[in-house]
Amino acid sequence: MRPHDDDLDDEIRGHLAISIKERIERGEDPASARLAALKEFGNLTLTRDSMRRVWRYGWLDAAEALGRDLRFALRALLRVRGLAATVVVTLALGIGANAAIFSVVRGVLLRPLVNRDEDRLIYIRQSAPGIGAENMKFSMPEIGDIESRATTVAAFGDFSTVDFALTGLGIEPRMVKAGVVNGSFFDVMGLRPVLGRLLNAKDDGKDAEGAAVLTYRFWTTALNSDPTVVGKTIRLGVRSATVVGVLEPSVPYPTDTEIIANVVTSPHHLGATMVTSRTHRMTDLFGRLAPGATVEAARAELTAAYAGVVRAHPEAYSPRANVELKISRLRDQIAAPARTILLVLLAAASVVFVIACSNVANLILARSVRREGELAVRAALGAGPGALRRTLLAESLVLCTAGAVLGVVLARPLVAVVAQFAARFSVRALEVTVDTSVLWVGAALAIVAAVLLAYVPRLPSPQAPAGLGLASGVRITPGTNRRLRIFATTQIAFSFVLLAGAAMLLTTLVAMQTAKTGFDMRRVVAFDVPSAATGVGIGDVDFYQEATRRIGGLPGVEGVALSMFVPWRDAGSFGPGIQFAVDGYRPADGEENPRARFRVVSPRFFAVVGVPLVAGRDFTDEDRRGSELVAIVSQSVAQRLFPNGEALNRHMWWTDPYFGGKPVPRRIVGVVADVDDESIVRGPSMAIYQPVRQIGVAGRLFVRASGDPYAVVPAVRRTIHDISADQPVERAATLEDIRADVLSPDRLNAFVVAGFAGIALLIAVVGVAGVLAFSVSARTREFGVRLAIGSAPRHLLARVLSEGVVIAAIGVAAGAVGGFALAGAASKVFEHVQLPGALPMASAAAVLIAAAVGASLIPAARASRVDVMQALRSE
Amino acid sequence: MAKQPDDQRLELLQGTLDMLILRTLQWGPHHGHGIGQAIRARSDALLKVETGSLYPALHRLVKRGWLKAEWGVSEAHQRARYYRLTPAGKAQLLREQDRWSQLVDAIGRVMNPEPAGKE
Repeated sequence: MRPHDDDLDDEIRGHLAISIKERIERGEDPASARLAALKEFGNLTLTRDSMRRVWRYGWLDAAEALGRDLRFALRALLRVRGLAATVVVTLALGIGANAAIFSVVRGVLLRPLVNRDEDRLIYIRQSAPGIGAENMKFSMPEIGDIESRATTVAAFGDFSTVDFALTGLGIEPRMVKAGVVNGSFFDVMGLRPVLGRLLNAKDDGKDAEGAAVLTYRFWTTALNSDPTVVGKTIRLGVRSATVVGVLEPSVPYPTDTEIIANVVTSPHHLGATMVTSRTHRMTDLFGRLAPGATVEAARAELTAAYAGVVRAHPEAYSPRANVELKISRLRDQIAAPARTILLVLLAAASVVFVIACSNVANLILARSVRREGELAVRAALGAGPGALRRTLLAESLVLCTAGAVLGVVLARPLVAVVAQFAARFSVRALEVTVDTSVLWVGAALAIVAAVLLAYVPRLPSPQAPAGLGLASGVRITPGTNRRLRIFATTQIAFSFVLLAGAAMLLTTLVAMQTAKTGFDMRRVVAFDVPSAATGVGIGDVDFYQEATRRIGGLPGVEGVALSMFVPWRDAGSFGPGIQFAVDGYRPADGEENPRARFRVVSPRFFAVVGVPLVAGRDFTDEDRRGSELVAIVSQSVAQRLFPNGEALNRHMWWTDPYFGGKPVPRRIVGVVADVDDESIVRGPSMAIYQPVRQIGVAGRLFVRASGDPYAVVPAVRRTIHDISADQPVERAATLEDIRADVLSPDRLNAFVVAGFAGIALLIAVVGVAGVLAFSVSARTREFGVRLAIGSAPRHLLARVLSEGVVIAAIGVAAGAVGGFALAGAASKVFEHVQLPGALPMASAAAVLIAAAVGASLIPAARASRVDVMQALRSE
Repeated sequence: MAKQPDDQRLELLQGTLDMLILRTLQWGPHHGHGIGQAIRARSDALLKVETGSLYPALHRLVKRGWLKAEWGVSEAHQRARYYRLTPAGKAQLLREQDRWSQLVDAIGRVMNPEPAGKE
């Protein structure tokens, strides 16, 4: 319906033509008729504009008015630069933190995987909450049972991780992690090659040729994207394989491996244990849903099938383990470990945003009180409430836009930091980049803030006596004062929640870092010297024997020993402990045999790592194959299973089927102090040690140095390479550094939350100081009167200080109440919600009160120094 | 058509232009120039409608749905927009006429009161 601009012109032209024609018909000459017609018409452009304006939408007018308001706001704000800058920076911190964390949350939790039809990909796991195993993985017989009963899953892919010593490809011999997969794995995962082909059904089974696919990361970093790599032959330990292709970049799950190979490359996968033992669980299981099937349907069907399997094989599933089958979308499974921490961060960031907003609200409110005169004048001149509100909205819009722009700029580096942090929990965080979502979040937050802020100040009400607002000078109404205090209290309350959280994380961290471990942490270096390179056998022991002899002779080396397990770093690699029995101990009815950690160590190991021998003797070189089988137990084994802890010369034997059916008794020759080499938080530590020369291999070398432990590393490496050039020697680190490395996610958690708490504290201090400074400056007259009638300056000082403390105390109380409520709500959603102890709570409260006192000092000092005469004359 | 001196010309009362346009179009569709001329002629040139007010008013009435506009060819062989009353426009005219006569009546009573005691 809306006419085109040309139509408007045509209509005017038509009018003129008729008018001219009439005049000519009346006898005027054409030239003067034309002039007269134009004169009569008046201003052509103006008329056309008012015609056009009829058709314009209402919001265009509003936009024009807003434009005017924005220009006005910009000019007004330039006059109060300090305030504007504070507001912008505060908002930028709030918006930047949220935008950054949201992009990471989006990238890690929400973005789809590259896999084809990734929402049809599921991950199936077996968990045993009864023995603390979240993910037990599967054995091949279990996978066979599940596969044969499934109709809702079109195909299954299995994946198990092994270590290979890789030689070939023109790079140094190195240990690689390899995935060993069945033929349908890549088809199930829906991945494509960037070079060559992936593994398929023809590569499955024990008669296929050895074939391996390189992962994109390995190909690009170790091989410089060598395009000729396809077709080359590599050696993987004892077998060889042909490189058939390179996998596209994809999220590595469950393990980040260098290569993915078929079953024939791994002798272990072809062995009887792997193929027939129901409890030999080392394989991850993936599935692709059948057309039309949902995750829920698959869950229902597979859970029922699994229950049948468990019933059919009671010997493999102890009732105490309480096994169950868990099925989730692959995407959710990958993101799960990062979910909690990211949501916590998101919550922390939104708390910072709330604090920032309430602080800005405070500043704006204080400013608007000073502007009350101006607003009253504008209202008196006929500006309606809408127009006044629009003026305020324009101002907060300018502030918030500036804050958002700065916030988005801040968010860019923050995304990188947060992504690196989140990468410790989920590999997906590595691919997070800054994208437009940062902009959207920033803009949305800015608009929310702007609208909220515009509604903070009270408008001069038409009913109010007009004279009040128009009078010069600043008066604070009780309502405004209350609002200012409420905002300051809100900031303190939210800061308290963050501070208490940060204090809790820090105290936990300090407790973990300073805990006694029982090891000599600083002087012992651990090396991975994996045995797979030279194969498994007794010859291996000779290699280690020779290596330890030569290393023991190096300068700066005080002792050298072997083990199979580096504390903490190898945690979890042997499952939740192995069942065993001892002479004279019979478990109570319905209870299982006890479980202990199985460790293989060489003579002098305990001396090298600093674990004291409590009774009996250490292993010696005479404890070898063919001599009497012996074992050393940890103190808790001795105390729990033997009367009076007298374990020496009694016998123990493993009852787990993994060690074969027949029990092989071993005489206990020694008892050592307890150490917990699995978990950071020291727990029960039943462990049984066996001598390396009776078992075979160890693979971990421990060197005790007399001086700088890292100084001996090159010599050790050289010595081993002298004996066997192909032997990998990797990951040299002191026990202290290994533990610190394992602790680093906790440390990062604590630092990030502490960072947020610091920002929050800073903003809150600015807020409290601002409120009091404003309240003091507006009450100059009151203070003057008080001084004049004999109040001592220090009373005024104390008065203002106590106002600050009251705000802080109420804030802390509100924060504590709110925080507990929040924790209560959170514990319904998340499994592990801890409440901070008394110490973190008290220290957070103390910090806040101290900060409030500090923030009140300057305004309080100013109040006590008010010049009586000037104050009384000021109005 | 006698020409009136400018000082005898009457300013239109606010809000009456719309009514005059609707009334003029009761005799049939017309273009903007014609409507202006018709109002002037019927008021014996006492009322002069400024084109600057006339055209925005026409467009406003179209937007409200009281008039309908169509392109035609004028007597000057020019493209011209012809305006026609819609049924809604007719109803509006009746309403405005009622309101107008009430207003005139009311103002008349105030300005020329009947002698008291007649009723």
